[in-house]
Amino acid sequence: MSGLQDMARQSARGLGFLALVALVGGALALAEPRFLSAASLNGIARHMAANGLAALGLTFVVIVRKFDLSISGVAAFTAMSMGAVIAAGAPLWLAVAAGIAIGAVIGLISGTAISRFGLPDIVTTIAVGSICAGLAFLYTGGRSIFQNFFQVGITDLNDARLLGLGVSLWILLAVYAVAWFVMHRTRTGMAFYATGENQVAAHFSGIATRRYIALAYVMCAICTVLAVLLILAESGNAETNKGANLMMPAYAGVFLGAAILGGTSVLATLGGILLITMLLDGFSLMGVPYYYSDGVISLILLAGVLAFSDTARGYLAGLVAVRALRRARSGGKA
Amino acid sequence: MDRRHSKGRRLARLTTNLWLVAALVLMTAAIASQKPQLLDPGNVVAVLKSFSIMVMMVLGLTWVIAAGKIDVSFMQVAALSNMLCAWGLSQGWGWWGAIGAGLCAGLAVGLLNGWLVAVMRLPALIVTISTAGLCASLAAALGKGTVIRIAAPGPLASLLEPQFGGAVPLIVLPVLALAGAAWFVQERLTMGRYIYAMAQNEAAIRSVGVPVVGLTLLLFVFSGLCASLAGVILAENLASGQPMIGGPYLINGLTVVLLGGMMVHVGKPNILGTLTATLFIGVLFSGAALLGLPDYQRQIIQGALLLSGLVVATLAARHHGERRKGG
Repeated sequence: MSGLQDMARQSARGLGFLALVALVGGALALAEPRFLSAASLNGIARHMAANGLAALGLTFVVIVRKFDLSISGVAAFTAMSMGAVIAAGAPLWLAVAAGIAIGAVIGLISGTAISRFGLPDIVTTIAVGSICAGLAFLYTGGRSIFQNFFQVGITDLNDARLLGLGVSLWILLAVYAVAWFVMHRTRTGMAFYATGENQVAAHFSGIATRRYIALAYVMCAICTVLAVLLILAESGNAETNKGANLMMPAYAGVFLGAAILGGTSVLATLGGILLITMLLDGFSLMGVPYYYSDGVISLILLAGVLAFSDTARGYLAGLVAVRALRRARSGGKA
Repeated sequence: MDRRHSKGRRLARLTTNLWLVAALVLMTAAIASQKPQLLDPGNVVAVLKSFSIMVMMVLGLTWVIAAGKIDVSFMQVAALSNMLCAWGLSQGWGWWGAIGAGLCAGLAVGLLNGWLVAVMRLPALIVTISTAGLCASLAAALGKGTVIRIAAPGPLASLLEPQFGGAVPLIVLPVLALAGAAWFVQERLTMGRYIYAMAQNEAAIRSVGVPVVGLTLLLFVFSGLCASLAGVILAENLASGQPMIGGPYLINGLTVVLLGGMMVHVGKPNILGTLTATLFIGVLFSGAALLGLPDYQRQIIQGALLLSGLVVATLAARHHGERRKGG
């Protein structure tokens, strides 16, 4: 019975979300007819691929009830590392492997520091992010890296198409499919959720909670590397500020998705990041200056978290109850 | 307890309390022996000026972190006040009007943060990340993405001039007085006890009747006001409104507060620790610049300092807890 109720509630939320996407899309299309053009939709798909990968990484960390603020720093350092490997004349797969390896090591360091040694997550990841942002300058002292970028074929990740869709979108869908399967259909995924719900209870249920927390940070760093790889593919060079715009959309996507779809999950993040990317691209198409974009995302994030918070729901329920009571009373009088 | 034992313990306490001061003196001596310019009056003025601004920036943050919360919006609040001040001047509001507007912005953001965290019970990180983005965006929008210059020096200009033989800017005095008052509140008043109690167990002190909601609100408002005051001083100091000024202060501020939390009350951020750590970082950066280290190396050093501060604080807290458990 309750399973059925749950399903009904979930599908109602899903329908509500689709209605919201249609509403936002319609409003943007009305305000700027070019929004629905092929070029614009392609742009949304590409930006969604990069934003979505970073947000997926953050999802793992948020599921174990932690935060990661090193995303921008990790993105900057791994971007420059991959750029340096490409510039040295190595093939693309080697550059990607090097980037992923560096990312994994950084994630392992933060993850172990937080889970094994009990350091506070927020400040630790800020410190690690700062060190990484500094390390990004090691290769060139801050100059852009572009040598060999066109010969090595990295731009194909951005330009090539497969069955009518961009390669970057396929990468996004493939990574999300694997993540969805692991997080929502296997014991491993259950262990992540159990660790987040109640670490002590999960520990006594035989789950190696520390390992899962560390693993969440490793996954987050690896996803960040993939996200920044797509950004490098789009721009055709590596710069130290390449990851600066990944963090806010990732947070907004994860928390907005969770607020609308009723809990942090892989699909909720995908939905959240779709909305955020539509809004961002729509605004930039309408010629809204760049400096408003962070403010708009922040407002949406704040409004979403506030509207769907337990406290707000409590107020709303109280309001409804009071109104029902009044109606009942006036009904009784009449 | 015999006397010798207590003497040893007092010495141990003194070293845990004041080791950062010793490190500061040693580091200053080491850098000055390599680069005597460190102690030139001109350089001392510069160090003390940035010290005053930094202390102003993180005075409120110290208590927010001591209470077990986090505020990552303080640096963008400063940027917003800084820009609002400069923009107000360009609109002809006069200096006092512009300063008032800057402080009001800090008050408003502090109230918003406090309301969302204390009353609506949203996670402090998500709230302050969003308000930080909002403030940064507004700050940039005020100047349409560029710097706003300030033509005439304002009433704070004389505070920034070097006095006392040309080595001390007057601004140090009011800032130190404010920090002294905060130290008194933290050490001698009940409110100070409540702040640290909040970090230990918020539910418990709520149920014994401590007004946790009001206190949380107050802490965020204080943090916002301190940061906006720093932003206003920066407007005077730089004779301009700089929309991007916030960025580097985040890591600086957190480093200072957490490094300071390693002295006096080990593992707990406190005002005296913040003051010492701010001076420490100021001298370190000034020395690093004199020694010719590029910016990014300073950033790496700072991140490493912050990490090591965290490790020591965590170990100290664990050691403390075990000893308490043991007897």
